[in-house]
Amino acid sequence: MKLDVRGEVCPYPMMKALEAMRQLPEGELLEVLTDHPPSLETIPPLANQLGFAWKIVEKGRGQWAILIAREAGIIEEALHA
Amino acid sequence: MTLAGVVLLALAGVAGILLTEVGREVGLFWAFGLAFGFVLQRSRFCFASAFRDLFLFGSGRIMKGILAGMAVATLGFAVLMSKMVPNPLPGVIAPEAHVVPVGIHLILGGILFGFGMVQAGGCISGSLYRIGEGYVASWVAFGGILGGLGLALHSWNWWWRFHIGRAPMIWIPSFAGYAGATILTLFLLLCAYLLILWWESTKGVILPEVPAGAKGTDFLHRLQDLWEKVFRRGWPVVTGGVTLGVLNILLYVAHMPWGITGEISRWAAGFSRLAGFPPPALLGVDQLAGCTLTLGGNRLITHTLTLDVGMVAGSLIGALLAGEFRIRIPPHPRRYAQAILGGILMGYGAGIAMGCTIGAFFSAIPSLGLNGWVFGLSLLAGAYGGVQVLKRIP
Repeated sequence: MKLDVRGEVCPYPMMKALEAMRQLPEGELLEVLTDHPPSLETIPPLANQLGFAWKIVEKGRGQWAILIAREAGIIEEALHA
Repeated sequence: MTLAGVVLLALAGVAGILLTEVGREVGLFWAFGLAFGFVLQRSRFCFASAFRDLFLFGSGRIMKGILAGMAVATLGFAVLMSKMVPNPLPGVIAPEAHVVPVGIHLILGGILFGFGMVQAGGCISGSLYRIGEGYVASWVAFGGILGGLGLALHSWNWWWRFHIGRAPMIWIPSFAGYAGATILTLFLLLCAYLLILWWESTKGVILPEVPAGAKGTDFLHRLQDLWEKVFRRGWPVVTGGVTLGVLNILLYVAHMPWGITGEISRWAAGFSRLAGFPPPALLGVDQLAGCTLTLGGNRLITHTLTLDVGMVAGSLIGALLAGEFRIRIPPHPRRYAQAILGGILMGYGAGIAMGCTIGAFFSAIPSLGLNGWVFGLSLLAGAYGGVQVLKRIP
């Protein structure tokens, strides 16, 4: 599942990421694409608290993908694919 | 991008030397502006988020940083003010302290400001540092702020006659002494902190800082780690708050507490004149300190101008060094509407309340004025209303 929140500022990236995490089917990967740096400090702890694993991947200038899944293995798999 | 940041930092240094030729304070305030902008950018110190997230996510992460910054500034301001005015007798207020009349204008101004900043996604200082980071919507919000301040300039005299001119200025040291006022302020800040801890525990999302792994223990790795911590990753919000608190004390030592709106109202007055609607002479403003509206004097380059512009430049430098600068265009047209309408409400609110989240709150509570608390609570009420509306705007 991909969620592109580029151009959005707080609180929209976090609100939309929260909604997406709640709807994320078991075993699937959520990729949140953002260019809002504060999201890197708010979305991962939120994921933690909801019991998700996460990883931040830099996607070029001022853009990041936050990879979120219920199991860390799913993220590793996606990274190596 | 890092190189561009280094080059710009060097240019900012040269500009500082040139500005010092214009006036000692003009150059000094440029340096302060750069520092404030840099720290705001690095610690993502967003007052709008601080108030909004209490209600939206039940998170008090940023508000706790603000409280820490105000606690530090309270101590420094108290020492400084007690040196300037050893006997705080009734009717006397320390020079430049952000103490303004308390009344309906402060409550209404705070509510409008709090509501507006939630819609616009940033307050006035937030919009300034986000302009430096490349957010297009913040330019639009800033336009709205100028518009709102323009409206405030044109209605100020009505407010002055109707209410502000008769409203009392309440400076806590006048009746509690410096020790009493400082202890009371710190106690209230502590209560607010504990209230937030409780609120987070019952309501919602506790956002701990994301821990960052060190790379190694040898000198080079630790040096690299330090670089990353300061220039690449976001700072912990309490570090940001305390640094801003210390900078605020130093700025007061230099001349006056940190404030933004007064200068921006001068720009709004200029635009209003250009548009053919010159604002009238403002009643009573020479009796008021803080970020009171001003039409400006004859000089174009002033210390408050370099402070505000320096904040944008400092943020730009911080964003470039971190590799975070990017022109960001909002994905929906409605975001522009939110930015401009939110900006107008903020501008008008800041105009009648004589300051924004910085001048009328972050600098006012440490000035030991009652007005800072009244404005802060009004911001809270406005942000609550703003969140109810924001939830319905997809």
